[in-house]
Amino acid sequence: MLSDLKKAMWVSLMIIIVSGLLALFSASFQNSRVTQEVFYNQLVFSILGVVAIFFLGRVDHRRYYDLAYIAYGINVFLLVAIFLFGYYALGAKRWIEIFGFNFQPSEFMKLSLILALARYYTDHKPKVSFYNPWSRPAIVSDFFIPFAMTAAPAILIFKQPDLGTAILLVGIFFVMAFAAGVSTKHLGGFLGVCLLAMPILWHMMKPYQKDRLLVFLNPNVDPLGAGYTIIQSKIAIGSGQIFGKGWLSGTQNQLNFLPERHTDFIFSVIGEEWGFVGSVIVVVCFYLLILSGLRAVEQTKEKFSHLAGAGIVAIFALQVIINIGMVLGLCPIVGITLPFVSYGRSSFLVCILMFGFLLSLARQRKMF
Amino acid sequence: MRLKSFKVIITFSFIILIVGLGYTQIFQGEYYQQLSVSNCIRVVPVHSNRGRILDRNGIALADTLAAFDVLVIPQELQDRDELFSFLGSVLGFGQGRIDAIYQRKRTASFAPVVIAEDVPREKAIILEENKFRFPGLLVQVRSRRHYPFGEAGAHVLGYVAKMSQERIERLKEYGYTIDGVMGYSGIEEQYDQMLRGVNGGLQIEVNNRGQQVRVLGMKVAHPGEDVMTTLDARIQQIAQTLMREQRGVIIVMNLDDGAILGMVSAPSFDPNDFASEAASNNRVRYFTDTRAPLFNRAIRGQYPPGSVFKIPVAIAGLYTKKINPHTTFVCHGSYTLGNRAFRCSHTHGAQDFTQGLGHSCNVYFFNTGLIIGPKLMEEYARLFGLGVFTKIDLPYEERGHVPHPDGFRARRWSKGDTLNFSIGQGDLLVTPIQIVNMIATVARDGRQIQPYIAQSIGAHAQPQGQVARVIHLPKNILDQVKEGLRAAVAGEGGTARAVFMKDLLVLGKTGTAQSSGNQEHHAWFVGYCPSAKTRIAFCVFLEYGGSSYNACRVSAQLLKEMKALEIL
Repeated sequence: MLSDLKKAMWVSLMIIIVSGLLALFSASFQNSRVTQEVFYNQLVFSILGVVAIFFLGRVDHRRYYDLAYIAYGINVFLLVAIFLFGYYALGAKRWIEIFGFNFQPSEFMKLSLILALARYYTDHKPKVSFYNPWSRPAIVSDFFIPFAMTAAPAILIFKQPDLGTAILLVGIFFVMAFAAGVSTKHLGGFLGVCLLAMPILWHMMKPYQKDRLLVFLNPNVDPLGAGYTIIQSKIAIGSGQIFGKGWLSGTQNQLNFLPERHTDFIFSVIGEEWGFVGSVIVVVCFYLLILSGLRAVEQTKEKFSHLAGAGIVAIFALQVIINIGMVLGLCPIVGITLPFVSYGRSSFLVCILMFGFLLSLARQRKMF
Repeated sequence: MRLKSFKVIITFSFIILIVGLGYTQIFQGEYYQQLSVSNCIRVVPVHSNRGRILDRNGIALADTLAAFDVLVIPQELQDRDELFSFLGSVLGFGQGRIDAIYQRKRTASFAPVVIAEDVPREKAIILEENKFRFPGLLVQVRSRRHYPFGEAGAHVLGYVAKMSQERIERLKEYGYTIDGVMGYSGIEEQYDQMLRGVNGGLQIEVNNRGQQVRVLGMKVAHPGEDVMTTLDARIQQIAQTLMREQRGVIIVMNLDDGAILGMVSAPSFDPNDFASEAASNNRVRYFTDTRAPLFNRAIRGQYPPGSVFKIPVAIAGLYTKKINPHTTFVCHGSYTLGNRAFRCSHTHGAQDFTQGLGHSCNVYFFNTGLIIGPKLMEEYARLFGLGVFTKIDLPYEERGHVPHPDGFRARRWSKGDTLNFSIGQGDLLVTPIQIVNMIATVARDGRQIQPYIAQSIGAHAQPQGQVARVIHLPKNILDQVKEGLRAAVAGEGGTARAVFMKDLLVLGKTGTAQSSGNQEHHAWFVGYCPSAKTRIAFCVFLEYGGSSYNACRVSAQLLKEMKALEIL
């Protein structure tokens, strides 16, 4: 049964990676320089990634417990370093060069934060459910310390500016706290306070600040107007109809109407060229992948691995849902990539690490 | 336990995604499909080449040329000074002047500024070759209607201009589009459908910048057909030169088939001005000038014919036998009706029919008019085509006006009106083309010819030499009238002695018509040459031209020059 689980995970993953590579090739083949930069890069990375996953799946997931705070510390340090050494690209300061590689520490922060919070909640079991919920130590250890651990990198990332990832980090906090067993009543109250604060914050802002926030929400605001990107994306997906226009034949894609089609909007290319049938296959594969991950997490008894696995599955699912929802026009456009499909080495590497962790959970069961 | 709620939320979200995909791709698929097509497919019209207008010898009177315009797009300019000094050296004007043009015409940063129009081809090629060095420089090709003879015969040809809103509304069902041009007045308007051809189009695929990626389909444009006219470019030029300082009309028609060889209305306009942006000042002038240069006096001008009208009066008198060739009236220089004197030009004394016509004696025709009565004069006027459309193939012809003695305005028709009517004054108004038509009918012994200008369209010949109507008149009557017309030119004391030529038989009739107010009289000479190489009828009309002598002089000059070119 567990080997079935692993098989399901591998098959879904391979379908997702291959369809992503096909889409990337289609989006780049007309320009050999871009093909070189985007497609071959991603192809090499995918092959290395699959090999890496294979080995990562064999690593004892309990090792991550030891690494959790170290990884978190290094990552926050890198985010600070970005302000000193990072460089701008696409209007934001997100990248840093280490040993000749360009890193996007904000991508890694997602995993680091999950691991750090998983360890924190393993070491400090939520007390609110057992003691007086309003006791000061409970609130401090259940909320304030982990929230501070989240807020520090989130603010640094928000400043880059990258609102999408910053929001994801806050999302991670809620997911982890929820999975760790913090009282839903209080979690809900906290969430409510956060949500209530948003419109107040919005009203306090000046018009140009609001505009700036809208630009945060959509870092690639188009000169033709804010709606251009989403309109073109919907046209691309909708015009694919049931069976699609065929690989390499999507007019929205090939004629450049689709902006950001290598990264955030790669799913539009799939929707246009492979139609409803192709899109649903990819979506279902994502669903199977997430569900298998969740199954593996369910069967994990260790507190840390269970929490980290839940966080990884949740963040993975959140990214898929937000990204596809955004290209369909169901959510606002925040710069969130589609795992394993969008071009981007940092995001791909983080996905590999996360998936490797989930796979190691599935493998670990055999030992018991 | 809590992972269960993860599963529920995730499953629910994925269902929403799949429903969303289904809605967008299946339910709204058609709609987005159309949007994606309109995104990337453009239809670019390919304008057909407008047909030429040719004279009878195949010389182009109107042609379509490629014109090269030099434009500058302000927002793409990088080094303005360098570009302008380059443009100055190629176009041959100073950099300062280019800068001044640019400053004056610049409106918005994205709107191209026209620096020079209709640049010679060689210069356009030099600019085009250097375009890559100067971002913002644009050389545009457009087709431009060209009229090699300028003002000569402009009214017959008409001009080509952008369509007005009113015409688009009226003609859009016939395939006219807003970006197109169409012919206005003259041949250009009359035969616009044939001249314009059928526009084609290119269906092209474009990328997000609107640049062409490839051609998907093509509908070939069918060029317009050439219209060959009956006009003779040489006659047009002679006539235009003669009329340079005048207002008026010269018409030359072939007696045998009704072909219009020459038709000039003055003052004229240069139809090339309608094809050029730079000439907009001239266009404004054409529309505001009180002398109405755009007005084709040959078919639209309505004037009293004066003594020219004595021809149908004479025929009416002879035909009804109210007078005969020997009928004599005595001219004392005026005719007294009640206490009012109706003047004659001279004191002619006793005049028989030939003398009366040859000397254009008013008194003779006052008497004739009173004998035959106004109703008969009206009938004969209409019989000879006055007050009736000639149906020449030009737009906007006017009808003229022949008074009805029976239903005459508010007051009753008086004897004085009859006297005025009999010498072509009063309410009678005719167009020069009607007068030419009338003299031709006399020359052709009553077989009225249909005047026309287009002899063939493309490969199709137009009907020509059509007899519009036959007026049955006894030959002796016509001979009598012709004798009078000959006497006017060749006879002792004839009013048209100035037209007399030793080597060319000319018959004709002068007319000096009173114009309204205190202005100069209108001068007429209408005649024909029955034995020339090309048998012609012609008319020279000078608006406010004073004495008919002036018209005779112009006629003589016209005939002399045509003779010199061996047309006659």
